[in-house]
Amino acid sequence: MARMGMVIDLARCVGCGACALACKTENNTRIRSENQSFNWADFIMHTEGTFPNTRHFVMPVLCNHCTDAPCVKICPGNKKKAGKGKPFKALFKTPEGITLHDPELCVGCGRCQKACPYSHEELDNTSLTGETYSVISLNAAGDDPQPFWSGKKAAIAGCTATGAEVSAKTKVRVPAMNAWQGGELKAIRSDDVIEKCTFCYHRVQNGLQPACVEVCPSKARIFGDQDDPQSPIAQVLAKERSFRLREEKGTKPNVHYVGKYSQRG
Amino acid sequence: MRLSRRSFIMGSAVSLGWLAAGGVSAAALAGAPATNALVPRKARPSKVAVGEWVGSTCQGCTQWCAIQIYVQNGRATRVRGNPLSKTNHGYCCPRGHLIPQQLYDPDRIKMPMKRTNPVKGRGIDPKFVPISWDEALDAVADKMMALRQAGEAHKLMYMRGRYSSTSTDLLYGTLPKVFGTPQYFSHSAICAEAEKMGPGLTQGFFGYRDYDLEKTQCLVLWGTDPLASNRMVPNTINRFHEIVARGTVIAVDPRLSNVASKAHEWLPVRPGADGALAGAMAHVLLTEGLWNREFVGDFKDGKNLFVARKAVDETAFDEKETFGLVKWWNLELKDCTPAWGEKETLIPAEQIVRVARAMGKAAPKTAVWMGPGVAMSPRGTYAAMAVHALNGLLGSIDAEGGVWQSSSPGSLGKFPSADKYVDELAKKTGKGKKLDGRGAKDMPAMMNAKPGSGVVTNNVANGLLKDPEAIKVFLSSWSNFNFSCTGADRWDKAMAKIPFFVHMVTNASEMTQFADIVLPSTFNAAEGWSIITNMGNGHGYASLQQAAVKRLWDVKQEETEVMWLLAEKLNARGFPGLFEYYSTEFKDPETGKAPTTALEFSEIAAKITSAPIWKAKEPMKGDPPINGWAEFKAKGMFSGPKYALKKNWGKFATATKKFEFYSETLKKGLLEHAGKYETTVDDILAVSGYEARGERAFVPHYETPKRHGTAKDFPFTFIDYKSRLNREGRSANTSWYQEFKKVDPGDVAWNDVLKMNPADGAQLGLKTGDLVKVTSPAGSIVVELKLWEGVRPGTVTKCYGQGHWAYGQIAAKDYARATPRGGNNNEILVDDYDRLSGATARNGGFTGVRIEKA
Repeated sequence: MARMGMVIDLARCVGCGACALACKTENNTRIRSENQSFNWADFIMHTEGTFPNTRHFVMPVLCNHCTDAPCVKICPGNKKKAGKGKPFKALFKTPEGITLHDPELCVGCGRCQKACPYSHEELDNTSLTGETYSVISLNAAGDDPQPFWSGKKAAIAGCTATGAEVSAKTKVRVPAMNAWQGGELKAIRSDDVIEKCTFCYHRVQNGLQPACVEVCPSKARIFGDQDDPQSPIAQVLAKERSFRLREEKGTKPNVHYVGKYSQRG
Repeated sequence: MRLSRRSFIMGSAVSLGWLAAGGVSAAALAGAPATNALVPRKARPSKVAVGEWVGSTCQGCTQWCAIQIYVQNGRATRVRGNPLSKTNHGYCCPRGHLIPQQLYDPDRIKMPMKRTNPVKGRGIDPKFVPISWDEALDAVADKMMALRQAGEAHKLMYMRGRYSSTSTDLLYGTLPKVFGTPQYFSHSAICAEAEKMGPGLTQGFFGYRDYDLEKTQCLVLWGTDPLASNRMVPNTINRFHEIVARGTVIAVDPRLSNVASKAHEWLPVRPGADGALAGAMAHVLLTEGLWNREFVGDFKDGKNLFVARKAVDETAFDEKETFGLVKWWNLELKDCTPAWGEKETLIPAEQIVRVARAMGKAAPKTAVWMGPGVAMSPRGTYAAMAVHALNGLLGSIDAEGGVWQSSSPGSLGKFPSADKYVDELAKKTGKGKKLDGRGAKDMPAMMNAKPGSGVVTNNVANGLLKDPEAIKVFLSSWSNFNFSCTGADRWDKAMAKIPFFVHMVTNASEMTQFADIVLPSTFNAAEGWSIITNMGNGHGYASLQQAAVKRLWDVKQEETEVMWLLAEKLNARGFPGLFEYYSTEFKDPETGKAPTTALEFSEIAAKITSAPIWKAKEPMKGDPPINGWAEFKAKGMFSGPKYALKKNWGKFATATKKFEFYSETLKKGLLEHAGKYETTVDDILAVSGYEARGERAFVPHYETPKRHGTAKDFPFTFIDYKSRLNREGRSANTSWYQEFKKVDPGDVAWNDVLKMNPADGAQLGLKTGDLVKVTSPAGSIVVELKLWEGVRPGTVTKCYGQGHWAYGQIAAKDYARATPRGGNNNEILVDDYDRLSGATARNGGFTGVRIEKA
């Protein structure tokens, strides 16, 4: 047993976006549509104060892999498909404390989005400014889960390609597809299932850091076992004042924040 | 909530199931922990993707980072900084992560295209049809030969946009020369050329500086936001938090930038008043005795005679590495009190004093990083000098923790000379006057302090409009001047009149809409061959661009493959010079063989340039020796030795060999230019739009901001800035650019908002989300408004990068109808110049706008 978690140092973070983009390349997440962002990693942005005493803050956000995960609790799963006496929940906690998703058992009901304090069933325009976000996105039943790469319209007929043509030419669904292989997890998702951050389970299980951690140019993210006192994450948490998002919800998030983004105010 | 049929049915069934199970489940669950929600369940094993990291070079900004691309089955999937890099520490900035999307953009041009609609203009469908490379290059060669046959070789023009720092010699450096035209121009002057005048006219270094971020105690980011753009973004991101923690970070920017968000001090200077702020800071540094004695020297008797408004006897001060300090004080600084500074800059006097003291206290470990926001304005040369000269006062020039000149990877291989392939006609026609007006009386363009030597990129459109007969065949590569140049509509007009335009690009950009032939280019960060050189963090480096992935389309690299194929065509038409040069002079450094195909030529050119790195008799200084081309390809880069401190002390490349606060270097250049027109320096400055007269012209000083548009008709001052996701205006057609546009402070994803202070919004009755028309003397755009406290009342700001009406189906709101997504800043920014450098103005509050509800 372990309790994997992440610390994000806001003093180091410069809000550049590399983490969220690397997450998209790593996990082949699709283009925003139907009020779902499909951004497993995203940001809260906030400007406050009155000119010239204005302050701007950025906070990277992702699935908090809560210890008391409401998404797991609410998940109806698929008992029938799981088989009698077998674990039937699509969302589940691993022994490492990671909240994972088994699309085979997902019925695409979206209840997890409702139960999760960090998610919305439907995002509106406020998600475009960094006021809101959702760490769980739903691929609706019957929807094309990679619509951009099914595109049939060329900008210049006969001279430029289409999404579908690039996909066919590269012989993969998503041309830049990072073709890792999952157990329960799928490198690209089908319709009628939700999707969310896995702490890059396919990487950490194989001794690598999550993609967002690995690419951060300011090394703002630390990933590791909070229960191992020797681990950098445990040491930072022991030493520095930290906080978690929406602590009052009692979900015991495993993503912590330290440091101040802005030096002013 | 969206309910699909299946999820609705399943949802209902599940609900019913829960209800039905309710009565029995508690007991069942107690005995069956596997089904308890939070009892852990082991996940099945996963495997990471199998692939290989291949070294290449990102050209998404001017840093040209050494990167690696993760290649799986010939496809690019992920990107990171090259772990060997001493400049980016193995990280790329967000731009690098956009590479796969740009590479696999469905809107890339797959094969050569020919225009079938002879009418040209914005919004007019060129009706492109696909053709073969053979047909395309036949058409280009025929048009070029017609010029040669008519003795009009000078009516060929080539303009380069982005380029390879070495392969550019094979096109930009060779084609015009061998063919015989003087009309070849670089994009450089729309970038940040005026910046170079600051270090150039003070320390004789006309280049981009490096900064010792590892050791600096006080970092002043002035008119630049290097957490997002300008240069050295990964290095800055990597080190920024350390500097914040150990020292002081000061941001000077009229809008709340990324560095301004994280700095200890934000100075939202009145746009264009940077020279006054620098003057006031210099005044404080001198009156409070905070200048660096080791670099600047001291009063002979040790008593500080710098007292506000009092002239000082020049002989009283003993200078060391500098020249003209007291002249500067007497001509400019003595009156630049903090109170005066506040009046001009709107920065409170006490903040000016506080910041200047922090800078002085940390000196010489204070780095004043001057950026295009200071320099790229109509009188920008003097602002650039004023801000950069602070580094002289602080002694940070070449100091630990200070400001350095650029580093080099060492001496790389040179291409053979093309001189003997320049025939008589080319010698004759190649000598004419350049269309960009450089060296005209009112356009000194004195890069390197040599009048008439600097390119005036954006003035080419004016040259073309003035003389529509001047150019008959126009070739351009990796460029989009109709989008990237201020006064953009002049380019639309000028391009509509070009009889034959050949565009070498990856995407059908705005400029491509005016093309007769389109030659689809490789995306060079992943598909090309070249050596790219740059520097940062104290090291120069050479980084390989290699064909990391399988090309999906029939595309060719513009500077090598296309030149080879074009040379073949010209050879077949009786103009052999170019082909003989490429095919006989270039030899593979490994095998000695001459190239026989376009691709071989491309790779051999990269090998020739890099050979000293991997095939040197004496190992180059810096990284451990690399043995052979294969090892270089595997490593992808080579870094030179670390910058040597105080390297240029005593031997600055100025007229006096000193750091010049009184620029004899500038004086020499201006006198030369005035001499050419048999007039005075004052007259030159007057016709070029500068305010200084007499001796003041030779010292860093404040020139009031020039502004197009009266305060009455155009009450708001417009502020342009760059997105941290801009790959030089070429990434807006990727969905991730749009999705994460909000990473630019105040910006909105999938949008292009004009930001206005809420107080102004209230006065005009405008609110966030309103569509507004932004009108300047140059034109109008319609965009969404956002009220935001990150900008001063009376100013408005918008990011550059959106507003494409072509380029692709994401960048443009409607490609077929040429409807832009947002509005291009360059359609409202006025075409104007810092005439001493020839650089295009885009900052300094030089464009007034009015805002109306659309």
